[in-house]
Amino acid sequence: MTAFRFVAAAGLALTLLTGAAYAEPVTLTWWQMEQPPQRVKRIQELLDEFNKAHPDIQVKQEPQSWGDVYAKAPAAFAAGNGPDLLNSIPDFTTVIKKIGAVVPVDDLVKDLDTKHHFIKATLAPYQYDGHTWAVPAYNMAISMWYRKSAFKEAGLSVPKTWSEWKAAAQKLSGSGRYGIGLPANKQLYTDQTVYSFMVNDGAADIYKDDGSIAFDNPKTVAAYQAYADLQKLSPPDSPSWTWGEAEACFNSKSCGMVLQFTVISSYNAQAEGDAADLGVAAVPHADDQSESATISYSNGIMITTKDAAKQKAAKVFLSWLLEPEHYGRFLNMEPGLFLPVTEDGAKADSFWNDPVTTKYKSQVETMIENSKNGKLFGFTTGKVFPSIGAISAQNVIAETLQHIVVDGQSAADAVKAGQAHMAEIAGK
Amino acid sequence: MKKNTGLAFVFVAPALLFLLAVLGWPLVQAVIFSFQDIGIIGSKGHFVGFANYAEVLGRAHFWAALGRSVVWVIGNAVVQTVLALGTALILNQKFPGLRVARVWVILTWIVPTVVVVIIWRWLLSTSGGMINPLLMEAGIISRPIGFFATRRSAMIALILINSWRWFPFTALMILAGLTRIPGDLYEAARIDGASATRRFTRITWPLLQPTLVVLGIIGTLLSFNVFDVIWLMTAGGPSQATETLPVLIYETAFKGYRLSGAATISVLTSIILMSFAVLATRAMTASEANR
Repeated sequence: MTAFRFVAAAGLALTLLTGAAYAEPVTLTWWQMEQPPQRVKRIQELLDEFNKAHPDIQVKQEPQSWGDVYAKAPAAFAAGNGPDLLNSIPDFTTVIKKIGAVVPVDDLVKDLDTKHHFIKATLAPYQYDGHTWAVPAYNMAISMWYRKSAFKEAGLSVPKTWSEWKAAAQKLSGSGRYGIGLPANKQLYTDQTVYSFMVNDGAADIYKDDGSIAFDNPKTVAAYQAYADLQKLSPPDSPSWTWGEAEACFNSKSCGMVLQFTVISSYNAQAEGDAADLGVAAVPHADDQSESATISYSNGIMITTKDAAKQKAAKVFLSWLLEPEHYGRFLNMEPGLFLPVTEDGAKADSFWNDPVTTKYKSQVETMIENSKNGKLFGFTTGKVFPSIGAISAQNVIAETLQHIVVDGQSAADAVKAGQAHMAEIAGK
Repeated sequence: MKKNTGLAFVFVAPALLFLLAVLGWPLVQAVIFSFQDIGIIGSKGHFVGFANYAEVLGRAHFWAALGRSVVWVIGNAVVQTVLALGTALILNQKFPGLRVARVWVILTWIVPTVVVVIIWRWLLSTSGGMINPLLMEAGIISRPIGFFATRRSAMIALILINSWRWFPFTALMILAGLTRIPGDLYEAARIDGASATRRFTRITWPLLQPTLVVLGIIGTLLSFNVFDVIWLMTAGGPSQATETLPVLIYETAFKGYRLSGAATISVLTSIILMSFAVLATRAMTASEANR
């Protein structure tokens, strides 16, 4: 009997040990929206490194486009095929939260904050309803880009106010060059450039505290008027521009100035690549304001699995990603575009050692500086209202500009119509 | 030969079942959704009766999009027919390199939509595009123009681009119709001294009618449903100038997060297109019976 017990116990132990040795690793599917090949490649390098160091966790990326994911992700969650990790921007989080697919990451963010110190502005848009809904991953902020040589040739200094800006654009216009390239398409890029004007005139808040729309006010009207005035100095096809056309216009020297998150990568590869000549500055402010602001928002990563083991694995992965030795390489999947969201990330050697980031160090430092006074529409009052997802997705800010630029309406009438449209969306 | 209806149904059944699965079920789903108030895909909805229909039919936005769809269909029909008929008449002649020409002409049709969009966006761009400098060189314009910057020019440019893409398909269909016209009719007309114009108006045009009518019906349905080229080129802009019904459906579902509203517009669009198809087919049948 004793011999039998011994054999049985040994057999059980062997079974358990074998089971443990051959246990399936936890597999996480990560939908990330950085599709350009160089970004996919860099992310894959990091994933390979992580997967090798963590045999019990395997993370695989599935690149998606921002254009599709607003439709694709809710459909995937409804069908039970949603990812375990999902990249996000603040308004997209409200959409995913509304269908109950995202889980709070309060404890994880608290730990990461203690360790790496999040820049508060990058975290705030994901904190509402008593929880944190995503881990900030990288920051983006719009700046004004120009060529120092062109400014010098025209006898210009960097404009600080809208009056100076308009005068500079007028002076840069001519000889086949447009003074400035400002989009007027009904698209996210235009939402962002227009909002960059709004925040520089003290019209950052779209909502009142009670959730009603505060869009129609004299400051907003003035911001739209200033934008429309400058937009007249842009190429005639700018009402159909997306990000790419603006960058192409700047790189081909057809535009004297542009508002962009960055032009570093394309300027370095497709234009002169002269770091000493590439100028970047804060977006100018209204004449009656004292300092510049901009639109800025962090991209976050949401945990979207209900499986406890997967949630645990996701936390291990996200913690690993924000470690300074990995984080800088993650940001440099597109050097000069993605800005750090943590204080130690901003100092990390892995960030500053990249050749392109090193070459354009002063520009990147200016971008980081500009991002510190960044705001995002719908996320400025400390309260987040779900309708911001639909307002953003329907590009109502850009649509309002089109009423001025394309339909010839006055700024006051267009803003009034924009307010009505936003109120209609918020009321549904 | 004795007709065996039962066996015929057996042979047709797999195809019918497949169609029911891929077309019938989504349509039924759309009808169900149109009576609910579903917002984001995946969220729950409640029965709201005809409220969505009342809302959609009461909105100027829907009627404006329908109007633009009609302009889009007519514009494409006219431009494509003119281009395709001219091309088919040329390709119906005998000349050296005819085979190469017939293959060459369908190239624009087989190019993927996204490539077509990239090519045309670049060609029409004011930063490095070729069209503006050519027009300026020719003295047609004095300064670069934004083809997608104004309401009218955006719709015209889109119709021309879509027609450029689709006219080879139409041309091949017309060419097939032309080859079916007996050559001895032209021979007899020539012997009787009929001019080229008279031969066209008295022989080619009347005998091509059945082909053109069928093409008209199919082309209308295809054009009406075009979404990709419009969305990729203008996304319905500027200022909704090119927002046709398919674009409005997409915007409503995926940007407005009103799935039920989009389903309602889809059902209404299906009714419009089915009505058109039934009426056009009946008219065609009646016309053939009178011949």
